[in-house]
Amino acid sequence: MHHRFNLLTLLLLGALIVGACAGPNATQETPAATDPEAETEDSADETSADDAGEGSLVIYSGRSETLVAPIIEQFANATGIEVEVRYGSTSEMAAILLEEGENSPADIFWAQDPGGLGAVADAGLFSTLPDNLLSRVDPRFASPEGLWVGISGRARVIVYNTEMLSTDDLPDDIVAFTDPEWAGRIGFAPSNGSFQTMVTGMREAWGEDATRDWLAGIAANGPSLYENNTATVTAVGAGEVEVGFVNHYYLYRFLAEEGESYPARNFYLNDGGPASLVMVAGAGQLASSQNPENAERFLDFLLSTVAQQYFASQTYEYPLVEGVVTSSLLTPLSELNTPDIALGDLADLQGTVELLQEVGLLP
Amino acid sequence: MTANALALNNVSKTYGVDIGVHNLNLELAQDHILALVGPSGCGKTTTLRLIAGFERPDVGSIHISDRLVADPFQTTPPEQRGIGMVFQEHALFPHLTVGDNVAFGLRRRDASRTERVRFMLALVGLEALAHRFPHELSGGERQRVALARALVPQPALVLLDEPFSNLDADLRLKMREEVRVILKGIQTPAIFVTHDQDEALFMGDQLAVMHAGRIEQIGEPETIFHVPETRFVAEFMGETDFLEGEVKTDGIQTEIGLVRQEVGFALGTPVELALRPDDVSITPKVGAASLVLARRFTGALNVYRLRLPSGRLLHAFAPHDVIYQPGTPVEIALSARHKLACFSRQAATIS
Amino acid sequence: MSRLTVRDLWSTGQLRARQARFLLPSQRALFLLWIPSGLAAGAVLLPILYLLIRALGGGESSWEIVLRPQTLETLWRTVWLAFWVTVLSIAIALPLAWLTTRSDLPGRRLWAVLTPLPLVVPSYVGAYLFVSALGPRGLLQTLLEAPFGITRLPDIYGLPGALLVLTLLNYPFLLLTLRAALLRLDPALEEAAASLGLNRWQTFWRVTLPQLRPAITTGSLLVVLYVLRDFGAVAIMRYNTFTRVIYIQYQNSFNRSAAASLALVLIVLSLIVLILELRARGRARLASPNRPSRRPARLPLGRWRWPALLFCLAIVSVSLVLPAGLLAYWLLRGLAAGEVLGDLWATAGNSLLASGLAALAALTCALPISILEVRRHNAASRLLERISYAAFALPGIVIALALVFFGANYVPSLYQTLSMLVLAYVILFLPQVVGTVRTSLLQVHPNMEEAGRGLGKSAIEVFARITLPMVRPGIISGAALVFLTAMKELPATLLLAPSGFPTLATSVWSSVSEAFFARAAAPALLLVLLSSLPLALIEIRQQAKDKIVR
Repeated sequence: MHHRFNLLTLLLLGALIVGACAGPNATQETPAATDPEAETEDSADETSADDAGEGSLVIYSGRSETLVAPIIEQFANATGIEVEVRYGSTSEMAAILLEEGENSPADIFWAQDPGGLGAVADAGLFSTLPDNLLSRVDPRFASPEGLWVGISGRARVIVYNTEMLSTDDLPDDIVAFTDPEWAGRIGFAPSNGSFQTMVTGMREAWGEDATRDWLAGIAANGPSLYENNTATVTAVGAGEVEVGFVNHYYLYRFLAEEGESYPARNFYLNDGGPASLVMVAGAGQLASSQNPENAERFLDFLLSTVAQQYFASQTYEYPLVEGVVTSSLLTPLSELNTPDIALGDLADLQGTVELLQEVGLLP
Repeated sequence: MTANALALNNVSKTYGVDIGVHNLNLELAQDHILALVGPSGCGKTTTLRLIAGFERPDVGSIHISDRLVADPFQTTPPEQRGIGMVFQEHALFPHLTVGDNVAFGLRRRDASRTERVRFMLALVGLEALAHRFPHELSGGERQRVALARALVPQPALVLLDEPFSNLDADLRLKMREEVRVILKGIQTPAIFVTHDQDEALFMGDQLAVMHAGRIEQIGEPETIFHVPETRFVAEFMGETDFLEGEVKTDGIQTEIGLVRQEVGFALGTPVELALRPDDVSITPKVGAASLVLARRFTGALNVYRLRLPSGRLLHAFAPHDVIYQPGTPVEIALSARHKLACFSRQAATIS
Repeated sequence: MSRLTVRDLWSTGQLRARQARFLLPSQRALFLLWIPSGLAAGAVLLPILYLLIRALGGGESSWEIVLRPQTLETLWRTVWLAFWVTVLSIAIALPLAWLTTRSDLPGRRLWAVLTPLPLVVPSYVGAYLFVSALGPRGLLQTLLEAPFGITRLPDIYGLPGALLVLTLLNYPFLLLTLRAALLRLDPALEEAAASLGLNRWQTFWRVTLPQLRPAITTGSLLVVLYVLRDFGAVAIMRYNTFTRVIYIQYQNSFNRSAAASLALVLIVLSLIVLILELRARGRARLASPNRPSRRPARLPLGRWRWPALLFCLAIVSVSLVLPAGLLAYWLLRGLAAGEVLGDLWATAGNSLLASGLAALAALTCALPISILEVRRHNAASRLLERISYAAFALPGIVIALALVFFGANYVPSLYQTLSMLVLAYVILFLPQVVGTVRTSLLQVHPNMEEAGRGLGKSAIEVFARITLPMVRPGIISGAALVFLTAMKELPATLLLAPSGFPTLATSVWSSVSEAFFARAAAPALLLVLLSSLPLALIEIRQQAKDKIVR
């Protein structure tokens, strides 16, 4: 069999391989030879060559392109800075940043929820933000160490099916949902970062045991567990479940797409407990950033009236900066009875995840 | 007389515009082997598949052991015809061992199953290989497994479709003897399809020569060989040369002389004589009109290729120690002790 | 005289062959095949190396998650799902394959084109669509409410839903291998069984089915490994498989070490599957390497005609018409509401480019691996072939993160470039093309290549003019398979594509995750359509060729 082989077959194949496949592979074997400093200089050269004027900025966005691309474009147009954005889910982007470490090309990480920001902050990858940025928002909406700042707010709400329930049927207190009368009527997304932050808030406000009891009570009601908030709202709208624990703004997409007749609405719990927590999407600046000034300019822009107004009117979120008008569809932030919990204190997601696993809500 | 093992009556089968087989009639007595011979594409495999039930006839009827198995209105599926078939490429089941292949056609509940398989494997001499897989066998061994598999259910009729075509020459000779002995030993009637006339002459108690979908002649091997009824049969069987001549009162006038024999044609009819090398003898003679062109040494004989004055070629046998150089002028004589086959050239051209 | 000449020729030939062998620098020649194969295998092993680094780096705590009792439960759930998806896929694919190759099913050619197409529907889209159609309060329930007063259908979530989606979207893996095997089947085997007294049904079970065993194992291998890897369907259907648990580790606790330990368990699981598959190949050598000269006969279905037709119709309706129809409905509704489609063509172009390159690159790696395995068939070459499957059960996110780690830290010049994305696709989908190329190489007898050399053609010419054309069907279908799975691959694309390189898959994801269904519908439809084309074209071309042959 051995001699059935022929040299030129091999040659041809070899050429093909080198051309199409081993390329990335082969170069991967030379990294040791590359001087990391030279590399840095190279890329610095490149960036300055790219745009002699204002330089560039690399954003990793855990927020969806459909939501934030317009405002980023506005920033790029206004400043002349060349902006490059990677979109993905917050957790994927955080995972990428953790893997990239010091060598990350990113300047900014803009996350959907504090959990992702916390993971990157814990790894020591964020630089401390200047006070003039941090001071623009309420301290509870920023990292206590000044490593990230909240950009826009979202409130935890109960979304309910208007054909099956009226507001009178809904309790004031989230604890009431552990009552067996709610069995089979609740839906939420236990793997969702906002939900977990809420549970972390419960641990902070109520303590471990009370939180465990609440989770166990909910679990005993046989809730429908969805993949994310969107799926939860869909299920409520379809009447698959009657109520869902979600963030407030998803509903407005459905209303925009399906019209006012869409049979779901938000309900704000007025108990002032962790279930009416207001959370943020926030951003931080990478310590390894090669464009720190541009990164700062970008954060500054996100906290400007223009950008904040965009979030208020286009994404139905709560602006976090004074003097910006909240969408008329939303209950104003000032009218919400929100708990006095600093988001920066809610970093212990791991403990929450273990708790959720303990009661069987997470695998 | 016992029932016929097989009878075909006016069986025809066409495939679209191609004619598959046309108006076949044949009968096979019990215990006989019929060799179906002809060039490739003559319809012999189609005939076999009609008998096996893989094709259904358009016209005519087929009886196996006097039981009607196919006519245009009804047809018995192959599995109910009680036939055994040996395929050209053996078609052994590659996922089964030799033993399982052979046992395949027996009912699982058959108490004598193991015994019968063992007997059959012993008959074909493969007892030791029962646990091998087909790809672990040699060509001849596979051949024997295929035969054993077809025979073990005791079929009323065995069909063999060019079973030796994949074997090399030595093995073919050996296998055809073995197979004939086995078939005769268990007294099973069989139809043996081949394109090889030697094989056909050896295997068949009866021979049917097929050409273009028709049976040209059917009969005993000797008759077919010596008394071919058509020019095709004469040409197909043996190394035949044709010599042109004309019917005279006392025989046939050819360029090598007058052949004295009676023919059923009118005086003056242009005819062709079928000559085989053993019918022709040569003697060297200076000034003779015919020449030796080439000699082919076969071991036992020398075969000479001769050129007649007209340019026509003829072949002749000579003993192995009689050697003439190419170019030797020779005189040609006919040494046949039997009547030579003779065909009218008129008829050929008319038909 | 003539005899002598023949012998002369023969011995010269021998001599020449011997010289050729002697002159052939076989060591160098071998390197030329071993090196690219080794590199490809090395690339496939990168994610495993990464997982080891992460898992060991996490210390003992990272193993805690593996050792907790839920792991065994998850393992069992995963195996249970994979098992049933495979069984159901066989139950769907086997009759479909038989009907479209061996029966007189009305519209046989059309069914042959349509039935493999569900493969192009991404599982995250398919699962979503199935929930909206068949969920407790989905489309079906709405249709049933008026006439029958049904207000709620039984829960689709959990095992039934995951089973439904994964079966309907993955059975084509089996269908494709089974169809190919049925067409290659030697009709004489079935005739031999009939001549031995077996009816059609018995023949099918005792002769045909055993011949199909290699096709069933190969197809099942693809199905099982795909199920192990899938995230979209199990996430939406809320069935916690290993892959979902791994995702949750990344998603919730950013616990990379725990995720890595779990992923290593997944690798062990896939190794067991691979070993089982090797075992299943068994001692009996099946499928004769040469295509039979005769095509198997088509059997009349008789009174089974209508049930058979209904079966095909039902499968195609649920697995293809339903998803495509829903997407089209959303799109039309969105367009009516004034939704603008944006620059879909550039996005589609990105998808086509990346997936096309992936197909090409995977093929280039698969050829030397398969050639070595088929022609040399020693322990090392077999190991290489098996290694190419090593990453096949790994979720896309694990492979993507491995490349993020190696790319960002060791080859920054390639990081976030198209070549990195293509490399990820190659690692993910190499086995699909190794499988098909290997199968078609097995059918090329080395004699053919030798005959070419004997006629004075150089090895390059022989490869280009004999081997390549003969394995072309395998090459084309393998490349098509890589192409369409790369088209729908999401996590690797999200994590590794160059910035500003949206693909159809990422567009669909970005819209769906924010509940912009109308906006997701257009790229999703385009994705399904573009991936369908190669699959459909291959089948149609094959049918045209068969017609000519007949």
